[in-house]
Amino acid sequence: MNLTLFFQQFLNGLSIGSVYAIFALGYTLVFSILGIINFAHGAIFTLGAYFTYALMGGAFGLNGLLANASLPVQLPFALALILGSTLAGLIGVVIERIAFRPLRRRGADPLLTVVSSLGVAVVIVNLIQYLVGAEIYTFPASTYGNLPAAINFGTAAQPIPVRSVQVVIFGVSVVILTLLTYGINATKYGKAMRAVAEDATTASLLGINVDRFIVLTFFVSSFLGGLAGTLVGSSVSIAGPYFGIVFGLKGLAVIVLGGLGSIPGAVLGGLVIGLVEAFVPSDYSAYKDAVAFGLLFIMLLVRPQGLLGRSALQKV
Amino acid sequence: MADFFSTYGFLLVSMLLGAMLGLSLYLPLMAGQLSLASPGFYALGGYTAAILSTKVFQMSGSLFPLPLLVVEMLVAGVVCGILGLMVGIPALRLRGIYLAIATIAFVEVLRVLSLNLEITGGAVGIFGIPQPFQTPIEYLWIVLPLLLLSAWFVYRLERIRVGRAFTAIREDELAADAMGINPTYHKVLAFTLGAILAGVVGAVSAHFLNTWNARQGTFDASIIYLTFVLIGGSRTWAGPVLGGVAFTALPEVLRAIADTSGLPLWLGQFLRDGRLIIFGLLIVAGTIFFPQGLVTPALLRRKRQPFSK
Repeated sequence: MNLTLFFQQFLNGLSIGSVYAIFALGYTLVFSILGIINFAHGAIFTLGAYFTYALMGGAFGLNGLLANASLPVQLPFALALILGSTLAGLIGVVIERIAFRPLRRRGADPLLTVVSSLGVAVVIVNLIQYLVGAEIYTFPASTYGNLPAAINFGTAAQPIPVRSVQVVIFGVSVVILTLLTYGINATKYGKAMRAVAEDATTASLLGINVDRFIVLTFFVSSFLGGLAGTLVGSSVSIAGPYFGIVFGLKGLAVIVLGGLGSIPGAVLGGLVIGLVEAFVPSDYSAYKDAVAFGLLFIMLLVRPQGLLGRSALQKV
Repeated sequence: MADFFSTYGFLLVSMLLGAMLGLSLYLPLMAGQLSLASPGFYALGGYTAAILSTKVFQMSGSLFPLPLLVVEMLVAGVVCGILGLMVGIPALRLRGIYLAIATIAFVEVLRVLSLNLEITGGAVGIFGIPQPFQTPIEYLWIVLPLLLLSAWFVYRLERIRVGRAFTAIREDELAADAMGINPTYHKVLAFTLGAILAGVVGAVSAHFLNTWNARQGTFDASIIYLTFVLIGGSRTWAGPVLGGVAFTALPEVLRAIADTSGLPLWLGQFLRDGRLIIFGLLIVAGTIFFPQGLVTPALLRRKRQPFSK
């Protein structure tokens, strides 16, 4: 592998890895507060992409209930991205109300909550299929305005072209990660969120409205999920209602690799998996999807608490 | 009656197969281990049978001989049992959600492998798997005894020392350990039993469905089997059996309801095309309103009380 190809793959890996990171952060936030994995997160990812597509004025295909429908607005990509992710966040809040809160109130077995979130995922995915069909939707070519198709990171003599979409994705991800890190570490809300994650009962004794912060967490988590969906969808295409499910499973690999409930771990895990996938030789690219899961499996056997996770103490 | 069997033969056999898949997921759950690996072993068992019957047992007659089918079921069971041991021993050190994630990863790795290997036919899969019977309904000769056998096995298992050890581990692993129950041994045993059952069912299904491809072992399938168990009831053998039967039949029932006259057009269309939406809603509602599933041990006990006097 020559140096040009190496840099190219490295930058591609960073770009997809950063999307994995923001997507996996959504899982991590919910896990750190409730100790459960929200399996509907992959469906939210899909939903976010569809919302942004619709807000940009994209028309839907022939097969669903909403055949050929399109919104009367045509928002620019940046605005549609934020609005679409916000809508995904609001759906997350609704999911918390319907599928998580009743079980939490009763103190139900965490496995039951996992199952109910799986049920939500089934509903969302099939609702999308029912409404807009199973076609592949591609964002309009003008999504990213007047950016050139590729940006050269090398010299004129030795070009290292990288698709500008990838650069935009990386940029957006870095901005979001910075904002989130600041929000969690330096603001009052972030502090309260961490307190709830540490111990919900004590936090509520200290005057923190725990339910409100759980709702906030779900909103932020689903916002990140929807955002990641849009970024991936705009760089490749929206490959039908099921496109978030595989991504959702890969997100699991990311958080376990980094350490469940660890925010830096999710970022690190995302980058590691993104980079490893980018360097899978092209002859074996069909096995690319297995790489993340193979890595996950090995990690679980060698170091179940993940790269940056704390090993849980067993209480009697 | 003959008419009924020829129309619903396929569905009836599918329902019984669903019940056994429910049982295969219920076995590790007896020991408190949420494993979603069943579709992986199911797919592996199916591939074993498909490869054996199309490549190894070259036969000339029109119907596939039954003894060979039984041999395939045994081979599939052994293969899945060995793989179950190999995966189970390291994976079962993990608890709760970690084990579920590890088994999801296992299913995905198997799926990607079967999509790409030559022996499994790649994305197309293996087709033209020979039929041992003329009509689908005749598969009952194999499937019904198999279901009775496995249900009886699990029923007995719940009442002997090993099964009680499973329950003890489910309720409190540390306490069970302190009582002298070896948790790892019992967890691996429960997991492997589930793997063997899933493999045997896969071997029958490969013949029954005639084609076998990577779509048989997916994450979606894991969720569906999990639904069988959790909505049916995860505390007694009857739960997964009932859940498997009812949920496999549900799409057909919904279609039948959709065809009744006098229904508004939109509702009929929704029942027909949106049945998976209803499926998902049932999962959510079931976990919230029936956390123990529909068939609970208490329900079975109450029926038996008059005899115990």
